[in-house]
Amino acid sequence: METTIEEIKEKPLKDRIIDFIQKDVPDHLDSFSYCMGATPLIFFLVAAITGVLMTFYYIPYSEKAYESVKAITSEIYLGWFIRGLHKVSINLMIFTLFLHVVRVFITRAYKTPGELKWFFGVGLFFTTLAMGFTGYSLVYDQVSYWGMTVVMNMIAEIPIIGSPLAYLLRGGSEVSEITLLRLYDLHTKLLPLLLVLLIGGHIVTITVLGFAKIEGREGTHPFYPDHAMKVGLIAIGLLILMVNIVTIFPPTIGPMADPLEVASNVAPPWYFSAVYKWITIAPRQPALFGILIFSIVFLSYPFIDRFLTERGFNMERINIVFGAVAVLAFAALTLWNAL
Amino acid sequence: MGVINDDISRRKFLSSAFMALGLGFGLGALGLRFLQFLSPKVTVDRFEEILVGSISDIQDSDITPMEIGNVRIFLLKTDTGLMAFSRKCTDLGCLVNWDKARQEFICPCHQGVYNRNGKNIAGPPPRPLDRFQVVQKGENIYVKVRVA
Repeated sequence: METTIEEIKEKPLKDRIIDFIQKDVPDHLDSFSYCMGATPLIFFLVAAITGVLMTFYYIPYSEKAYESVKAITSEIYLGWFIRGLHKVSINLMIFTLFLHVVRVFITRAYKTPGELKWFFGVGLFFTTLAMGFTGYSLVYDQVSYWGMTVVMNMIAEIPIIGSPLAYLLRGGSEVSEITLLRLYDLHTKLLPLLLVLLIGGHIVTITVLGFAKIEGREGTHPFYPDHAMKVGLIAIGLLILMVNIVTIFPPTIGPMADPLEVASNVAPPWYFSAVYKWITIAPRQPALFGILIFSIVFLSYPFIDRFLTERGFNMERINIVFGAVAVLAFAALTLWNAL
Repeated sequence: MGVINDDISRRKFLSSAFMALGLGFGLGALGLRFLQFLSPKVTVDRFEEILVGSISDIQDSDITPMEIGNVRIFLLKTDTGLMAFSRKCTDLGCLVNWDKARQEFICPCHQGVYNRNGKNIAGPPPRPLDRFQVVQKGENIYVKVRVA
């Protein structure tokens, strides 16, 4: 249906809104693997609300940070619930992001004209992981302190920009109270802003460019009420799930950061443990370069796909193999680290 | 939606380009200033000899961790004499511990291993433990460390 700008301008606002929310979405969004993109968004909203709530009690100063998190967890009324929701939502957000990325990769949904969606998505993926890291640092227990130390030194290994970047993030050559304040600022201001912009970009590109097309499933249904109601139902289901997880596994806090002693049982959160295991088993420089090259390949994958397709490679099969290997390697490293 | 403004003249293009260049420089300079504001203060390294004990205090088998002027060290007798090792792992900056049973320095973060002489013998560390200069004046032992 072709509409000119004049026609749209003539319509009253109410009709324009109705037109907008009743935009057609393809029928394949009905299957669960294709609406995995909305789930991280739901978790993000929960994390954002609980995160803002916690800033009313958290003190980003090295001598007070740990105490304030402890107070949130055990003294403040419902503090354990808010912190628990924050933690669970972030964990599930990262988990569903992984699923979403794998699905997009396997179905090659980044193909032209979907490249921009992929770039926004990759940006979202890394920003979310950065949120995970900075969030962990704020607790200021042993995992936070030594995690900060190790990650800052890893950043410093990036060629050319690494050293100044690490210096800037740390606010000096050692992890200190300046570092905590900087990571707090990143976690509560700059990264959320970036995340919201990227989410906006991701959604706007999908609205403008349309969803990926799947052969043989060309039917459509309106976004509202059909799809919106379904996503709403999923959101309610996920909320129930989160509340249950928080009540069964309330948040805990490790021993306080001690710059003089590395605790022997310090382990990163599960989504970093594959990388952690990787840098432990592989020689240092190749391991870090491996991560860097993986990230660059990940970001530019739509172009790599196009390049190889033009040369007659069966990318569908290659992607299934690549995807399976990546998922298995991630799972194997994670489990190995847990042993 | 077609291409709009495709009839731009050379004069107009050059003038716009010139303006854009100026704007870019201006904003770039401002951005640089913002970045400079965030850059931490550069401190001049100052080394100082700090008294850590007397020679008779240090037994052959003793390996004691100590903190002098924000620097964490191990002071011990190695095969080549009295040494002060930094406890900072040369891998990614965790603190090494002395494992008495294995007679080795172990980094708990990524399982780096150093022998008694500070040499990296296993795991990811790329080089031996950093050393600080040990100065002996009579009975007294001083370690030269960086102070803030």
